[in-house]
Amino acid sequence: MIGMTGALLAAAALVLLLVAWARSDKALRDLPSGSLEWLSGPQENADISVCPPEFVSQIFSSDDQAYVLGLNSRNLERQFRHERNGVALLWVQQTSAAAQRIIRRHAEASRRSQDIEVMTETRILLQYAQLRAACALLFVGIGLAGAQEVRSIALYTDGLTQRIGQVLREFDAGLRAREMKGAMQ
Amino acid sequence: MSAEVKLIPLQQAYDDLANRSLSRISCELGRLIYLASTREYNTGNYYHEGLASRFGPEAAQKALEIAHRQAFYRVSAFSLEELVQELERYLESTKEDPQECLRAWQKLEPYRIAVPTDVNVTVARLFTSNLRLALAVLRFRQEPSRSHP
Repeated sequence: MIGMTGALLAAAALVLLLVAWARSDKALRDLPSGSLEWLSGPQENADISVCPPEFVSQIFSSDDQAYVLGLNSRNLERQFRHERNGVALLWVQQTSAAAQRIIRRHAEASRRSQDIEVMTETRILLQYAQLRAACALLFVGIGLAGAQEVRSIALYTDGLTQRIGQVLREFDAGLRAREMKGAMQ
Repeated sequence: MSAEVKLIPLQQAYDDLANRSLSRISCELGRLIYLASTREYNTGNYYHEGLASRFGPEAAQKALEIAHRQAFYRVSAFSLEELVQELERYLESTKEDPQECLRAWQKLEPYRIAVPTDVNVTVARLFTSNLRLALAVLRFRQEPSRSHP
C-alpha cells in the first residue's frame, strides 16, 4: 500500500516537474525577439557577461509586483508575471552559460598546469555542481511559482557565481605566478 | 603620457556634455533617448558636432558612449513605479501629443534602439520589459472607465 502511494506521489511530482519545466521553456521561447538578439552573442567580455548583483535583486524583487497588484488589473498582473518571469529565466540561462564558459576556461588552464591542487580543484567542481543544480531549481521554480517566490535561491546563486569567479581568479593568478617563477629559474 | 593626453580631453568632453547638453533635459529617460540619438544607425558611432569641434571626434565619441551607457544603467535600475513617473515626465516634455506618443511607443517600441552596445543582455531585456510594462500601466491609467468611475 505504502509502495503504491509512494509511486503515485513520485509520479505526481514528476508530472509537476515536467509541467514546470515546459512552462519555463515556453516562457523563455516566448520572449519577444527583435533588436536585442544581436546582444545575446557569445558575450566573451567578462564585465558584461555577468549581470550586476543590484539588477539580480531587482529582477526577483517583489516591490514591482506589489505596485502592479495595487493597480487592480488582471491584465496588467498577467503581463507583469509573463515579462518578469521571462527576464528571470534569461538571467538563469545567462548565469548557467557563464558558469560553463568559466569552467571550460579553467579546465584548459588546468591542463596546461603541472601542479594541480586537488583540494582547490575539488572545491571548484563542487561549487560548479552546486551552481548548475541551483540553476535547474530556479528554472523549474520560476515556471512553477514565479520569479518573486524564488528570490532567495536567485540571490544565493548569484553569490555562488561570484565566489566561483573569485576562486578561479585566484587560481589563474597563482598559475601565472608559478609560470613566471619557472621561467625565471 | 599618451593615455594622459587622451584622458584629459575625454574628461573635459564628458563634463561639457553633462553640464551643457544633458543638464537641460528634465528627466533621465529623456537624457537616454537624446544620447541614443547621437549614435549613427549605420556605423554605431556617436557624433556630436559641437563636442567634436571643441574636444576632437575621438574624445567626443567616447564621452557620448560612456554617458549613454551610464544613462542606460540608471534608467534600468528604476523600479517600475519610478519608471512610470519618468515616462510620464518624458511624454509631457515632448512637444508631441502625449496620447499619440504613448500609442506610437507601444506599437513601434522605439526605445529598443536606446540600448547601448556592450551592455549585459539580461539588463537590456529588463530595460525593454520594464518599459513595455510602464507603457501598459500608463495606458491602463488613461482608460475612460478609470477616469470616470
